[in-house]
Amino acid sequence: MSNENNNNQTDNDQPCCDQAGCNQSGSRQKLLGIIPLDWRFDLASIPLIRWILKQRWFPLCFIFMNMFLFMLILMSGVIGGFSSGNYSFGIMMVWILWWVVLMMILVPVFSRTWCMVCPLPSFGEWLQRIKIFGVGKKVGGLNLKWPKKLSNMWIMNILFLMTTYFSGFFTVRPLATFFMLGSLIVLGIVFMMIFEKRTFCLYVCPVSGFQGLYSNLGMSEIRVKDPKICEKHKKKTCVTGNKNGYGCPWMLEPHSFKKNTYCGMCLECFKSCPFDNMAFNLRPPATDLLVDEKRGLDEAWKCFIMLAIAVMFYVAMMGPWGTIKNWVRGETFIGWFKFISLHTFFALVVIPGIFGIFAWLSKVVSGEKDIRLKKVFVNLSYSLVPMGLAAWIAFSFGFLLPNGSYLLHIFSDPFARGWDLFGTAGIPWTPFGTVWLVPLQFFTLLGGYLVSVDYGYKLCLQTFADTATAKRGFIPLLVLLTLVTIAFGWLYGG
Amino acid sequence: MEANLPMKIIKSTLSILLLLFCTIGPIYASLRYEASLTKDFTADIVARTPEKGNFSPRHIKVQVGQKVKLRVRNVDTVMHGFAIPALGIDAGELKAGKNKILEFTPTKPGIYDFYCTTWCSEFHLQMRGILEVE
Ligand code: SF4
Ligand SMILES: [Cu+2]
Repeated sequence: MSNENNNNQTDNDQPCCDQAGCNQSGSRQKLLGIIPLDWRFDLASIPLIRWILKQRWFPLCFIFMNMFLFMLILMSGVIGGFSSGNYSFGIMMVWILWWVVLMMILVPVFSRTWCMVCPLPSFGEWLQRIKIFGVGKKVGGLNLKWPKKLSNMWIMNILFLMTTYFSGFFTVRPLATFFMLGSLIVLGIVFMMIFEKRTFCLYVCPVSGFQGLYSNLGMSEIRVKDPKICEKHKKKTCVTGNKNGYGCPWMLEPHSFKKNTYCGMCLECFKSCPFDNMAFNLRPPATDLLVDEKRGLDEAWKCFIMLAIAVMFYVAMMGPWGTIKNWVRGETFIGWFKFISLHTFFALVVIPGIFGIFAWLSKVVSGEKDIRLKKVFVNLSYSLVPMGLAAWIAFSFGFLLPNGSYLLHIFSDPFARGWDLFGTAGIPWTPFGTVWLVPLQFFTLLGGYLVSVDYGYKLCLQTFADTATAKRGFIPLLVLLTLVTIAFGWLYGG
Repeated sequence: MEANLPMKIIKSTLSILLLLFCTIGPIYASLRYEASLTKDFTADIVARTPEKGNFSPRHIKVQVGQKVKLRVRNVDTVMHGFAIPALGIDAGELKAGKNKILEFTPTKPGIYDFYCTTWCSEFHLQMRGILEVE
């Protein structure tokens, strides 16, 4: 059975409870007291699925399909209806369809499957491999190692935050979307030519960082089935590669990694493992939040930045504050400058500061003397992940329901030139289910809150020495999570 | 066991073809489709507020007695309009991102003004162009 494999209690320096599925009493941990955290179902145990995952044309066929769509998106930035966001194929596809599907389905359910089918780095990757389809030994490009110091989320944090500086342009100027996607493709090629493998995806791509963090919540994972088989397999072809597949392009060790953050789900390990020892598991949400591996301030700040952006986007796009909207749209440079300074300060200082105060309170209230504040701060920050994603989903409902019907139009008339490819160009703008908007947002936030609280408590158990201190240390965190949820509820609903 | 050469060649050709199909393909196909739709157009007029570029082209020459087919495309974020009052042509309101096709046959030579008909910016009154019938 493929189930218990992520519970290997090896190489932890901590005394107890590092892994999902174990707590002090030794009984199974459960999500919200219902779903056991170590429940797994290996999709690849279905023979047809495993066969598909092992084919070289998979996920290549999806990459090609997306490449086709992305070419159309890029083109619409140049020849489409320039300034009118609602009739721009690029804007609607990227900011309504892609973003919403990413936030609502791909990340929460399928973790980093977007990276599996993402066409952006493919040009670079094919140049690097000097191959599109097969597996070869030759490498194009310099294949340099990425510096250790930068092997974290900081660059992605900063790039992602900087991308949001232009959020006022993305939804109204097709050219802005063109430049954003275009520069990702170009940067991808440059990086692939200089650095080894998927360095670009791992440490640079701004879309990668939040997917990495939030995929810890995702309900799928690629893991090894039986570690004992890996132990006996000295060659470790999932790392080194063989004629069926490349060694892990994401520079993980597929035979032993425990956390979704840096797994781009490229499926090479399914192909390179001669024992079919890889599993594509469905699992309860967020179990990776309890995995104490590569935790750090970079990921903590990612949590903060994502929360800050969820707030800022709402304020800028749907809130009633006209002046701020004008700042974001960059009507005057001074206004725009005010916006980016405030936004940056809010994301990098205010939110972390507030969290810091509560982390400190948690340490104080817990009564545990010799625990480091940094450890409390970093560990507890992961409890913000479910709530952050919930806020993003709630926010996405806010533009999907009112604007979703534009999609039908742009499929038929992608460049606003009066085409009618599928006969849907004439469909008028019909906001859909908007009466459900606020209740939907409310339940999404509530769900995120419950999961956050549940994991917050488990993280406290993991952080503090014993159950009593953990319970006390949990109180400030509970207060914070409640306040943040109320704040989002107020912002979105009232 | 090495994969045999013909197989290799087939695979590389196929992947290159696929790559072209998915990159150049959509560009070529859409440009061709657009060209086939617009081949009998006399002019394709893009509408923007005067400070962002005005109508373009702003000067159109046509022959008297010959059918004229114009497309007016509003690529702006604001509403525009299009009319040639002297010829009794009015496209009505053109919402942002919308476009309209106008067909008519001018019967008298002359110089006719066309205008934007909705107040689109403070320079709205400058949003005009000329249709020259020879
Ligand atoms: S090779 Fe395996 S571990 Fe590495 S990214 Fe691909 S699927 Fe994930
Ligand atoms: Cu006008």
